[in-house]
Amino acid sequence: MAKRSTGQPIASPDWRWIGERGVRVPTGTATLARYEALTAYGFPEIEDIIPADGSILLVLRRGAVLPPALCEALQAPLPGVASAGTLHEIAVAYGGAAGPDLPALARQAGLAVDDYVDRHAAVVYAVAFLGFQPGFPYLRGLPSALHAGRRASPRLRVPAGSVAIGGAYAGIYPAAGPGGWQLIGHADAVLFDAAREAPALLRPGDRVRFVPR
Amino acid sequence: MIEVLQAGLCDLVMDRGRPGQSALGVPAGGAADPDAFAAANRLVGNDDGAAGLEIAQRGPLLRFPRGAVVALTGVPFAARRSSGAPVAWNETLVLAAGESLHLEQARHGCRCWLAVQGGIAVPSLLGSRSTFLPGAFGGHAGRALRAGDCLALGMAVREVRLRRGRPPLRDAATPLRVVAGPQAGQFDDAGLAAFFGSAYRVDAAADRRGVRLAGPAVSHVRGELPSQGVLPGAIQVPPDGQPIILGWDGPVTGGYPVIATVIGADWSRLAQLRTGDAARFATVGVEAARALAQEDWDIRDLG
Repeated sequence: MAKRSTGQPIASPDWRWIGERGVRVPTGTATLARYEALTAYGFPEIEDIIPADGSILLVLRRGAVLPPALCEALQAPLPGVASAGTLHEIAVAYGGAAGPDLPALARQAGLAVDDYVDRHAAVVYAVAFLGFQPGFPYLRGLPSALHAGRRASPRLRVPAGSVAIGGAYAGIYPAAGPGGWQLIGHADAVLFDAAREAPALLRPGDRVRFVPR
Repeated sequence: MIEVLQAGLCDLVMDRGRPGQSALGVPAGGAADPDAFAAANRLVGNDDGAAGLEIAQRGPLLRFPRGAVVALTGVPFAARRSSGAPVAWNETLVLAAGESLHLEQARHGCRCWLAVQGGIAVPSLLGSRSTFLPGAFGGHAGRALRAGDCLALGMAVREVRLRRGRPPLRDAATPLRVVAGPQAGQFDDAGLAAFFGSAYRVDAAADRRGVRLAGPAVSHVRGELPSQGVLPGAIQVPPDGQPIILGWDGPVTGGYPVIATVIGADWSRLAQLRTGDAARFATVGVEAARALAQEDWDIRDLG
């Protein structure tokens, strides 16, 4: 098992090191609230915080040690109601060449393609976190009938704007590249532009509704 | 100014990267060996944050119409100056107006870094001048250099002194040092024995997103887990058991178990892996890894 540091105690048995600068802290269902609270603390020892699925990764500045008050900060009560993010309506062209996996996913779910699309578009999704590519949203809220595993063999090139399903998550590919999620449609929205004042269209905590075109 | 007369395989404008943007899905990136890169900057009198070039395997032919003060760190390349003067590594070099510098092939390893007095003056995006190739932004037009490109230089911030640097001694023949976990517990004994007891071959390097390894399969109990934040150096094991060392431009989250993470002090060696190289791994503790990361270059004035 992971060798524990000798000099610096890791403050909770649930925390895990990733290298000498990353500390993975489980956050259960409170990932975003915890992320926001820790960001607000502004610990100088912490260079970056990566929210993910049920955990956050604290990235220490080089040479820094865990802030003594971190443990306390992580146990502080969280605000009961998280701030509601922006609601984005994103137009989607479902199926066709941009959604090659849609017919097979509908069949798997025992649904007509139109019904599958209706269900996908009926939900307001929450942006759980961004990862994989700049601006790639992991959208929580996909109806369980629509869950679908990743492709056994990833595609070498998924076009930018592809609307996709990976396990229990819905997502949108901001840029072209290799990808293993199931593709069901295409959105014209520009999800990431480094030169924009807000480079990522969607932020953790925002909400998304897909509008069939 | 720098004129690119001939491009190398992958010449990228780099600086220290853009840490702090991971929540947008943007990795810190930046020079693959931050210490060697910072040393090159110090050798030309720049601040550590100035932008320079990261050059992989086969380098460019560059012309300096107004001359320049430059320094090279990283592995030595076969290299020539149009003046015929020697191209020393880890040392301040003064190029005359109109002189060109040709960095041909790496003699061993993969990458070198070129710092220029004043730094390369490309626009800063998300707090950095580093190229992020997977997202096609940053650096020079979000891409590797091409013949015909011209790079503007910034103003010198201090007087140049001729200097020489010496990197911390690191034995390339020893295993790469890793901190085990966080998912080491998900691997069975056979998987752990394979990973820590075998030599892996580098399948495809020179890609800043990651280095694929080939060797005895590292078996584990569960193939996927909820996505977690990851860092460069983290070694993910997909279901086929062939490990992948995540690179500087790799994703900020990953869904495969991470068996171990290469320590910061060994990024200098990670940056030099190339296809066909052997890689072995040995664990160190977090505290030891942090102490090793404090080792720095020894830089002295000449004469």
